[in-house]
Amino acid sequence: MIPDKGRLRLSGWSPGLALVAALLAGSARAQAAPPAPDGAALPGPNAELAQPYDPWEGLNRRVFAFSNGLDHHLIGPVVHGYMRATPLPIRNRVTSVVYNLWEPGNALDDLLQAHPRRAAKSTARFAINSTIGLLGLFDVATGMGIEGHDSDFGQTLGRYGAQAGPYLYVPVIGPLDLRDGIGRVVDIVIDPVSLIPGASRTSFKTSRAVLGGLESRVAQDTALRALDDGIDPYATARSAYTQHRVFVVQQATGAVAELPDFEPPSGEPQPSMPPLDKLPPDKP
Amino acid sequence: MSSMPRNTIRRHPRRRLSALMLAAIPLAWLGSPASVMAAGARDPGAEQFVQTGAQRIISVLADRGQTAAQKNATFHRAIDELADVPKITGFVLGKYARTITPPQREQFATAFRAYAEHVYQNRLDDYHGELLKVTGSVVRKPGDVVVNTLVSGGQLGQPVAVSWRVLGGGSAWKVVDVQFKGVWLAITQQQDFVSTIDNAGGNIGVLITQLQRDVQRPAPHAR
Repeated sequence: MIPDKGRLRLSGWSPGLALVAALLAGSARAQAAPPAPDGAALPGPNAELAQPYDPWEGLNRRVFAFSNGLDHHLIGPVVHGYMRATPLPIRNRVTSVVYNLWEPGNALDDLLQAHPRRAAKSTARFAINSTIGLLGLFDVATGMGIEGHDSDFGQTLGRYGAQAGPYLYVPVIGPLDLRDGIGRVVDIVIDPVSLIPGASRTSFKTSRAVLGGLESRVAQDTALRALDDGIDPYATARSAYTQHRVFVVQQATGAVAELPDFEPPSGEPQPSMPPLDKLPPDKP
Repeated sequence: MSSMPRNTIRRHPRRRLSALMLAAIPLAWLGSPASVMAAGARDPGAEQFVQTGAQRIISVLADRGQTAAQKNATFHRAIDELADVPKITGFVLGKYARTITPPQREQFATAFRAYAEHVYQNRLDDYHGELLKVTGSVVRKPGDVVVNTLVSGGQLGQPVAVSWRVLGGGSAWKVVDVQFKGVWLAITQQQDFVSTIDNAGGNIGVLITQLQRDVQRPAPHAR
């Protein structure tokens, strides 16, 4: 699973702040990088891209197997039933409403990342889509050239040099690293939408949580299908998640991706192209 | 009271112009490309290669007039021409590229070629796009370029960003990796394969057998 956004409502925030402190303390070994002005690039260490830090791999693999089974037998069929039963135009309206309610949080994270232009974009999108777009049903702002983007507190921590920390596979929620997990808790605590009158009502919170969860799972459907192609689906999911989070942080820092070299090790011959007649037949 | 501003503006066209400009400036500012995108040198040759070659692949997959077998055959030929399969084959083995025996290397190359073709076709097909537009490129070092594109049309509600890593120079370029939503396919495959071999106690034969089995497996039903 490659969550683009996860703003599940959790109770209690003191543990979250304690974890923030622990993470920031732990990140002291990371390269200290000063915050960049809007548009400037920060150097970003990409060690986690080359080798994900997974000290609890045994436990994570068991949780992954459990979650995958749950998704195949329960969550997946429910979501696919929803996708089949709901016409695409209606699903698109649901998507628009859910994404619109994330915009204030995006703006806040953009500000914390010292990206005023991106914060202004998110604010303008929320204002335009909530009014002209009929409470977010229609994404009018994109039509006006104000494209949307995702920002989160895990990304904010990454922008200022915090390391990803250990990889963890959480039942139902999916893959996380310590930095992203803390970020999600903080995003819930500081969510500006909770300040809107009426947003504290249980019915609103429940509807938003259910629709947000449903929308997240629909958005991940293609990524989950890709896991079917993996020889080791656990390693595939871990690699995809880790790369995605590195990419998200790079969007905030402006750093150019540090990619591994494709040249073979010195003195190593390149594998030859298999003759065409040795290839298995194409699948029908 | 409510008509006053309208009358005021009508009486002062310059003020109306100023008001429009004031409204337009922030919208233009917001509509401009994101400031945090890294600026790097572009490579027009690599961009042209991707525009032509990748559009060809997208068009093949979007062509409803071709049968699945025809699409597979066309895709197969396109991979031969556009991708550096030997380089990708060596890369995805990671640390085991140093220890693989020549007979195993030949077996692996055959199995991986079929597997990779299947996976790349699946990923590109997932998005059902029809049009590809190059939006820029970043020269990582001479002869190593990441070309950024947007795929749109078809069944896509919103354009999808797809990046292509190409190696070469002049008019001779080859694709070595493709990125969707920040995830590079070859890097993912390398970590998948190395993990599989690690868990088999370093036995590369286990990976080769699984690749061969995977290619023979019927495609999973679309969810």
